[in-house]
This record gives sequence, structure tokens and C-alpha cells, in this order.
Amino acid sequence: MTSDGNASEAAPESFRDRLVAEIPNLRAFAVSLSGSIQNADDLVQDTLLKAWGHADSFTEGTSIRAWLFTILRNTYYSLYRKRGREVQDTDGVYSERVGVAPAQDGAIDLADFRTALAKLPEEQREVLIMVGASGLSYEETAEICGVAVGTVKSRVNRARTRLAELLGIAGASDIGPDRNSMAVLHKGGFVT
Amino acid sequence: MMHQDDTSNNGQNDAEGRIGEVTLDPKVQEALGRSLKAHYEDLIKAPIPDKFLVLLAELEAKEQRHDK
Repeated sequence: MTSDGNASEAAPESFRDRLVAEIPNLRAFAVSLSGSIQNADDLVQDTLLKAWGHADSFTEGTSIRAWLFTILRNTYYSLYRKRGREVQDTDGVYSERVGVAPAQDGAIDLADFRTALAKLPEEQREVLIMVGASGLSYEETAEICGVAVGTVKSRVNRARTRLAELLGIAGASDIGPDRNSMAVLHKGGFVT
Repeated sequence: MMHQDDTSNNGQNDAEGRIGEVTLDPKVQEALGRSLKAHYEDLIKAPIPDKFLVLLAELEAKEQRHDK
């Protein structure tokens, strides 16, 4: 992870600078949510426009990332979900990188992981990304999703369990560099 | 953050009292956590498309014109 958007308040940055700094995180969240680079970039653009137009609804001192994720997520569920996964990512950022992702120290292959991640229910996938990767707290995630913290924890647990099932790694002995049973899935990258 | 609640997922004394949820091996959890970060960081590394920078520059310029 790069910088933590929650903490760094060193220099007086313009609102624009702060939005720019969050774009990589917004894209990563949008791709994870929508499963498509193209939808993700449309989603990020809408999010930036809305954020700019409603800048006064941002509370200074709170996490701008959480605020932007809220906008992005609401936009996704109200406008994009139906388009959703019709457009599959076959030529986006993912596929370019899928082939070169190294499976180091017995780690799960990135392409395998993405295939499994894409199969999770949205409500599980979004919290897993927010809590496990984007640096948001359980509390922030709960607020973004409009649910209780306990619900977030429960969804994260179920997401992990489901991922382990999909990846065939129910136990530690299943993790290893020789696992190639899912090689057949490599080609598709992050698709449903 | 990833780590703050890891212990509560390990089992018996889940803070939410959700007994019956499957407990994953900690090593499996770690592997999943690493994969999740690898997935995300790979996306974060991608350069920011110019169109976003242009868009924000235009919005700011428009606002400054209005302010005058």
C-alpha cells in the first residue's frame, strides 16, 4: 500500500490534490467492485465529478478515502450494477499483468485469486477489499455500507471462507508452490 | 487496517458471538490477506489516466473563473 490517506495531513493540499491522491485507490476499489476496467474508469469519473460538486459535504478531519468510497459505492449500486459484468475485462489492466504475477513463497497465484474474488457475492467482496486492502477500518467500512460493524466482520469471515473453498485451500497444507490444479483458469483473468 | 481484527476471526471467542462460522487456519488467512493486498497493490500501481487529471484541472479552473 502506498500512503495512508487517513493520516497524512502534512502540507496544506488543495482539494484537487487530495482527490488526485485518492484516484489510484478509487480505481482499485472500482475495478474490484465492477470487475471491469472500463466500468471502473467511468465510475471513478462520476465519483470525482460528484465529489467536486459536493465538496462541502466532506467533513474536514474525517477520512477523504472513506468519503470518496461512499460516493463511488453509491454510484455503483445506483447506476452501474446492471451494466455490471457484461463487459468483461479481457484487455484491461488485469490481463496485461496476469501473466507476469509471480507466485512467490508458496503464495496463491494472483490470477487464481482474482478469479475466486470475482465469484464472491458483492456484499462480501466489497468489505473484504475495504478492510483487507484499502486501509479502511471496520468502523469506516460499516458506515460506508450502512451496516453494523458486526455485519462487516461476519461478511469478511464468510468472504475468506468462501475464497479458501474456491481456491481449494481449506488447510495450510494446501498452500504451496506446486498447486497447479487451477492453471486452467489463468487465461481469463478477473472475470466472472 | 487488516490486522486489527484478525484475532477475532480465529475462533471461539468471536466478539460478535457468531458461533458456527467456519474458522480458517491462520496460515490460510495470511495467504488470503497477502493475495488480497497483492491484487490491490497491483491495481494501485497503474498510472493515473490523464483524463482524470484533465477533468479535475478543468473543474478547478472553472471554479476559479466563477470566483472572480
